[in-house]
Amino acid sequence: SLNGTEEKKFKRFEAYKRDNQFPNKVKDLEIVVDKKNLTVVLPIMGRPVPFHIHTIKNASHTPEGDFTSLRINFLSPGQGVGRKDDQPFEDPTAHFIRSLTFRSHDIDRIDDITRDITELKKEVVRREQEKKQMED
Amino acid sequence: MEAFQEIYLNLSKKHGVARFAESGWGWKPSGGGDTFTLDQAQIMQTQWSRAARGYELKMLTRTDGVIQLDGFQQEDFERISKLFKIWYGINVEHREHSLRGWNWGKAEFGKAELSFMVANRPAFEIPYTEVSNTNLAGKNEVAVDFSVPADGDDTGTNGHLGGARARGKKSSGARDQLVEMRFYVPGTASRKEKKEDGED
Repeated sequence: SLNGTEEKKFKRFEAYKRDNQFPNKVKDLEIVVDKKNLTVVLPIMGRPVPFHIHTIKNASHTPEGDFTSLRINFLSPGQGVGRKDDQPFEDPTAHFIRSLTFRSHDIDRIDDITRDITELKKEVVRREQEKKQMED
Repeated sequence: MEAFQEIYLNLSKKHGVARFAESGWGWKPSGGGDTFTLDQAQIMQTQWSRAARGYELKMLTRTDGVIQLDGFQQEDFERISKLFKIWYGINVEHREHSLRGWNWGKAEFGKAELSFMVANRPAFEIPYTEVSNTNLAGKNEVAVDFSVPADGDDTGTNGHLGGARARGKKSSGARDQLVEMRFYVPGTASRKEKKEDGED
């Protein structure tokens, strides 16, 4: 412990073990929220790229006319809201993806995706807090 | 001649037929339209990996940047690697991507593209031709922009090539189009003021 406060530890996680675990829908080159595996799969230059919900900070979208822009913010160093950045990182000297913005004409689907990501994040945080309380 | 059906060229919306011959290969859109051809002398490097649409054959070319052919079946690898070896004298490298789902790693700058490496495996690649702008968005923050034209003709090929994409237009080939990516790059300059001596 440091200065009497307990140091948060980084816990490892993994989205997939094999590439046959991707949801089928990734072939449509669209964003897929894989709730079962706590992962959001994003299309980047034709590749399905998984991001575990633990890396995501929040998601929001802004409709503008006939399309909408979805911004996904990720956890990265130097963005702590408090005085101290207490978010633990496995390697703070690494490069981090801080945000990704996608544009889509499927406003309703993006609205669902935004809600799914937000709820999945809430659910994971809630479960972690429960676990912590049980450990105390 | 070796032919493969339902193949997508540079993230085209429609598929086509890819035909390989000793002199090079061509891609003809199934719905009709001009055929894209590439001379074998253009091909410098080739990689095989899992893509969103099946498996992908990615070629680094001398003058056309990175060319992607998506939609192959896993079992096509044998035919592909054989014909590349015999006809083009090129080893098709099997590239496995990271599936960890982490947002941290190392951005590596290669000949034609940026690879974001997670635990020593690429998570994704960005061909330089697809980047429309970059800027320093804040302290330790770099923003990379991708152009996605707002109008219907967003392929840059004027409806030719069956919806195949010209360079710089790949991002709009997806239903959800990536328009911006921001990186956090840790600063090291200010912390390395004190020089450590005696180490080699």
